[in-house]
Amino acid sequence: MREQVVCNSTDLKPGEMMKSTFGKQSVLVCRTPDGEYYAFMNQCIHQGAPLDKGMLCGATTESSNPGKYEYCHKGEIIRCPWHGREFDIKNEGRMLANPNKKIPSFKVRVEGEQVIVYK
Amino acid sequence: MQRNQIPLIDTDIHERVQYEDILNKLDEPFKHYIENCHWIQEKHMPYTQPAVAGVDRADAVLPDGRPAGSDLAFMQEQLLDDVGHKAGILTSALDPSPSSMHGWHEMAAALATAYNDWQIENWLEKDERLYGSVHIAAQDRERAIQEIKRAGSHPKMVQVLLPIDDIMWGDPYYHPIFEEAEKQSLMIGMHHNEPPVYYGRWPRYFIEWHSLIPTAHMKQVTNMIFNGVFDKFPTLGLMMIEGGFTFIPHMMWKLDQQFRDLRHEVPWLKRKPSEIMKEQVRFTTQPAEELTKQEFTSLLEQMGTDEMLCFSTDYPHWDFDSPTRALPKMDEQLTRKIFSENAKNFYPKLHAI
Repeated sequence: MREQVVCNSTDLKPGEMMKSTFGKQSVLVCRTPDGEYYAFMNQCIHQGAPLDKGMLCGATTESSNPGKYEYCHKGEIIRCPWHGREFDIKNEGRMLANPNKKIPSFKVRVEGEQVIVYK
Repeated sequence: MQRNQIPLIDTDIHERVQYEDILNKLDEPFKHYIENCHWIQEKHMPYTQPAVAGVDRADAVLPDGRPAGSDLAFMQEQLLDDVGHKAGILTSALDPSPSSMHGWHEMAAALATAYNDWQIENWLEKDERLYGSVHIAAQDRERAIQEIKRAGSHPKMVQVLLPIDDIMWGDPYYHPIFEEAEKQSLMIGMHHNEPPVYYGRWPRYFIEWHSLIPTAHMKQVTNMIFNGVFDKFPTLGLMMIEGGFTFIPHMMWKLDQQFRDLRHEVPWLKRKPSEIMKEQVRFTTQPAEELTKQEFTSLLEQMGTDEMLCFSTDYPHWDFDSPTRALPKMDEQLTRKIFSENAKNFYPKLHAI
């Protein structure tokens, strides 16, 4: 099993994300508002944009009533810097508009102050 | 980004001006109106910005905070050198394009002239790969013709971007403009712009407006064909920019069928509309829908030609198309045509590059 320290746990506040590397691969390390860490491939599955240049934000969720907005999942949605596609961190990085597609993810654990990504 | 293996002619790149950049190119009193009276062009889009950084790629905003597309060195690093462009055609960021100015034609014309000079000095003459578009205020036709003659005679100006307004481009009003463009070996370009897709107003949602942009392009092509523009100006070409291309087969079938039934109304048409399109109209590829190779190949077969599409990135805008990811993989000959040769053959001033 391959593993690597990708950042220090204090490098990210809840609701922040950063770029790091795992071997030769660029990875996106995200920390959701509840304090949990997640890691994904740092490349959009659509056209390859660098996701760390995008935004960690919330999303308008499905609503059955046209014209009615609900905004939630704050800090749990990765939004691509180019086409704005939204990926749900808490749902395996799945795309909101097409949950059959997802950003490849890595396992993450925290040991002391080290955030470790592994396969 | 993965480097392109073939020479690319990118048919839609947006350089961006800020008012302070063109102040020294503006005559008085127009400089005074901006500098002392704080004039800014009215903009109408009612929506919240569609993507992470508004209408721009978030990673194209300059490190010092200046807007995307406003610095040549950064564009060279992020686009031209990174992708390996052979050439790119600048189409501006539509501001201070006079295209949405319905009043004060003197200001619109002054801005167009200043913009053209700024574009030549700061982009076309500083990077041999970059080619330009002439901006005009067509509301003042005589002045627009003079501007086409003046700025359009520059060897790196390849097309005239016409304002989209309530006079369709097939109307005889525009014919003297086409005549001058033809004399200067310039093509006509249409880049989508504010409202025209929805009865002259905005639809309720951005997603509706953005989805329907191709309909504005379809209207203009239809209007120019049936008004006989392409027969009257046989060496004039029309580049439809950022309107998509998957509607082309539908248009060809529809216009040909209508022509067979209703030709007597437009007897000046000497060729089938689909033939006119094949010979004189081209379409940039961005924003490309996600097509399978089979779907893409089938589309080209339905068009009956692989010479109408010209690749474009739309850099630095949010819906940028990657040269290595946006279209399905195709064989080398077809790649060469769509990424380079079709544009080279279309624009007279690119023939020699």
